[in-house]
Amino acid sequence: MKNVLDFFIEVGKLKTMPRRGWVINQIKDPEDIGDHIFRAAIMGWILGAEKGGLNIEKLLKMALVHDLCEIYAGDVTPYDSVLPKNKKKLRQLMKTWPRFPVFVKKGLALKKHKKESKALEKLIAKLPPKIRKEIKSLWVDYEKRLSPEGRFFHQADRMENFLQAYEYWQKYKNPPLKPWWLWAREFFDDPTLIEFTSYLEERFHGKKQKK
Amino acid sequence: MLEEKKYYLTEKGLERLKNEAKTLRDFKLMKTKGEVPKILQSEDLNPEYLSFQEDLSLVETRLADLDYILKNVELIKIPPKREQNIIGLGAMVLVEIEGKEDEFEIVGSLEANPALGRISNESPVGKMLVGHKVGDAVVVSSPLKTIYRIKKVTYLSS
Repeated sequence: MKNVLDFFIEVGKLKTMPRRGWVINQIKDPEDIGDHIFRAAIMGWILGAEKGGLNIEKLLKMALVHDLCEIYAGDVTPYDSVLPKNKKKLRQLMKTWPRFPVFVKKGLALKKHKKESKALEKLIAKLPPKIRKEIKSLWVDYEKRLSPEGRFFHQADRMENFLQAYEYWQKYKNPPLKPWWLWAREFFDDPTLIEFTSYLEERFHGKKQKK
Repeated sequence: MLEEKKYYLTEKGLERLKNEAKTLRDFKLMKTKGEVPKILQSEDLNPEYLSFQEDLSLVETRLADLDYILKNVELIKIPPKREQNIIGLGAMVLVEIEGKEDEFEIVGSLEANPALGRISNESPVGKMLVGHKVGDAVVVSSPLKTIYRIKKVTYLSS
């Protein structure tokens, strides 16, 4: 049990690690990684149940473990490789969605994956073998989108980010929403989640649903 | 159980899934016989599958998913030469968005990974681009207006 206790203490660090995306957007008192995990799990569960045909227990466990690696790997954003030090230039950059050649995209994704995989291994190394394997398999499933739950939660997780972006935008008029929409229209392809984006649009832009 | 649908895959994607299914089946057989499987060292398989090595139920779950996908697969076919200026599944598309160029491959949902430039044909941008050709400017206006100018369309075998 000593190793399990050590693990819980490490996991607790996520309750005080602000999400980097909001930090670089200069959001005041941004949410922590633990906050994100909590609502991503709730959203994954309820939107997953709405979609149907998914193993919700698996999905919930996946949600709980999907960002554990960030305790050691940190929270990576698509802007990290192009961040300027100048605050004015930073604000300009945040108004756009970063575009890279395909080979750069692949390099960034591989680097992130390796770093996170190593971090997760370190975190779970001393857990009982059965739990260790379950956590690693759930994370690989999420990362590689191997199962229907992995494919769905990979997108539901980002929907939590999207909703949080809207909530900050409503409160601070920041972050700029354009890059979020540029990204969202390329990222989401699950019909339930695409439908959900139309409700976000209605809620925050006051646009009526067609149906 | 997986959602009822057709799974569009590129030739490379289909090959990868078939190899994965074969490797997992061989693995399962060896495990059942009580042998120590070494096949998971195969380059065809993600090394992280090693975490499946001692858990047969995970292998079985993945195999069931793969079998279902392979039964419902539709291979993405390269269109004839005269239609290769039109965006369809399997097309590599160079677009200009707000003065910046980006390149997408239009793929089915299973192979989609926007972080790697592979956009699903079921995503709003994927749906919108399909059927358009070089020179077209496709406008998305809801809720924020964006113009996608199509600069080049290629298919891998073209």
